[in-house]
Amino acid sequence: MAGSRLEKFGTIFTRMGDLIRGGVVKAKDVPVWYDIYAAFPPKKDPLYVKPMAKRYGKVTVTVPEIFYKEDAVRAKFYAVYGTGPRAFELSKSNFISTCQRFVEKYSELERQGEVPEEALFEETGRALLAEGVMLRRRGGPSVSGKVAPENRDPVLGMRLKDMLSELQTDTAGKAQAEGEQVQGESTGTPH
Amino acid sequence: MLLHVLRLCLPTNDINSRQALPLDPLGPATRESMATGKLVKAFWRFGRPAQLSGRVSDIHAHGRLYASATVAQPVHSDIPGENRVLTQPLSHPDFFRLSELFSLKDLFEARVHLGHKKGCRHRLMEPYLFGCRLDQDIIDLDQTVELLQQALNFTAHVAYRGGVILFVSRRRQFCHLVESMARDCGEYAHTRFWRGGLLTNAPIQYGPGVRLPDLIVFLSTLNNVFQQHVAIRDAAKMNIPTVGVLDSNCNPSLVTFPIPGNDDTPCAVELYCKLFKMTINRAKDKRRQMNLLHGFLNPGSEEPHS
Repeated sequence: MAGSRLEKFGTIFTRMGDLIRGGVVKAKDVPVWYDIYAAFPPKKDPLYVKPMAKRYGKVTVTVPEIFYKEDAVRAKFYAVYGTGPRAFELSKSNFISTCQRFVEKYSELERQGEVPEEALFEETGRALLAEGVMLRRRGGPSVSGKVAPENRDPVLGMRLKDMLSELQTDTAGKAQAEGEQVQGESTGTPH
Repeated sequence: MLLHVLRLCLPTNDINSRQALPLDPLGPATRESMATGKLVKAFWRFGRPAQLSGRVSDIHAHGRLYASATVAQPVHSDIPGENRVLTQPLSHPDFFRLSELFSLKDLFEARVHLGHKKGCRHRLMEPYLFGCRLDQDIIDLDQTVELLQQALNFTAHVAYRGGVILFVSRRRQFCHLVESMARDCGEYAHTRFWRGGLLTNAPIQYGPGVRLPDLIVFLSTLNNVFQQHVAIRDAAKMNIPTVGVLDSNCNPSLVTFPIPGNDDTPCAVELYCKLFKMTINRAKDKRRQMNLLHGFLNPGSEEPHS
């Protein structure tokens, strides 16, 4: 049975066609798929493409990033509230998460147009609260990441060395005080 | 049973054309197209051999309106020596009505559109991608629907002609599913380690005169070390067409009928298995029907050999 094993040149169809045309493959040996391929060829010829490790020239991005207008709202939601109170149920295809509800409410309020731009976010939070969705703030976007110095917990500022030295001065002071007391008593008693 | 085979939903045409009864030679296409069912039934009753010359056109253009059985077509051909059972299906774009089997929504719900991360992307898969959402590639389902339709159509035609189909997948998770699916549609599967010369050295490994598959269907084109499966290159060498489900990290270059889609999620693979099984069973059933039809209307001629 004749064949052509050159998979890097042409397609299976062209190679088989050439074998048939050349008379190497007889009519009774024509494979089952040949007529079907002739009637229904694929969209793109299955030619061999040499693997190229490096791309030369400017790399044009053909796969676009998918972003929606609501993503801005989603990003803000996650920054302020973290992941919502309810876990995602991925098995349900029609599941609406807390974030999605927030986005829908936000777009609804935006469409109504009564609330100004800056207050939309707060307004949506309040509206959801009215509906019964508890949203806990993680850290507001208006406040910078650091807390003001005067509000910091004083315990955070303490260092081990300072604590030890304090302890030592305490014990020394106590010993001194006791010593004085004892002396005082001792001096007192022989009276 | 043959009555069941030839049952047709007749299109609503004008009443005048219903006068076309068996003794009338077939005239214009309108009369033909609506009267064929009645004609053929009448033929059996009156015992006349099929003398239908012109071709009946465009019944398939109406897609779902018609019954699932094969349309009764005249079996005598114009070209002598032509085997109509084999050539007739090739003239219809969707002879087996495979577009009914799936829709874009089904593919979406089976998560066929989910690809791998951006870093795993294969350069040649970029034309098949819709976009990249937060670094995860999303496969373009519009293209997938078209390519899946073409692939299933090709598979159906190969099964119709009695071709041997081999299912290959090296994913251990789906090995049992693929094997049971192949057994259910009467075809073959190879989901274990692929020895080097299975296709290229078959006469030595299996014995002389072994018949190679006429189509290889890959449910996943990668092997367990994320390299392209050897069978893709070997099938191209042995001039065997391939149908392959390609994820965003696969190489589509040598696959004859690529199907860009998810090959990792169980629900997606179950969908592919279901579609291939239904396609092949449909094609084999139609072949049996066509053989019966040809045999009945043309009792003197030989059985068509595939």
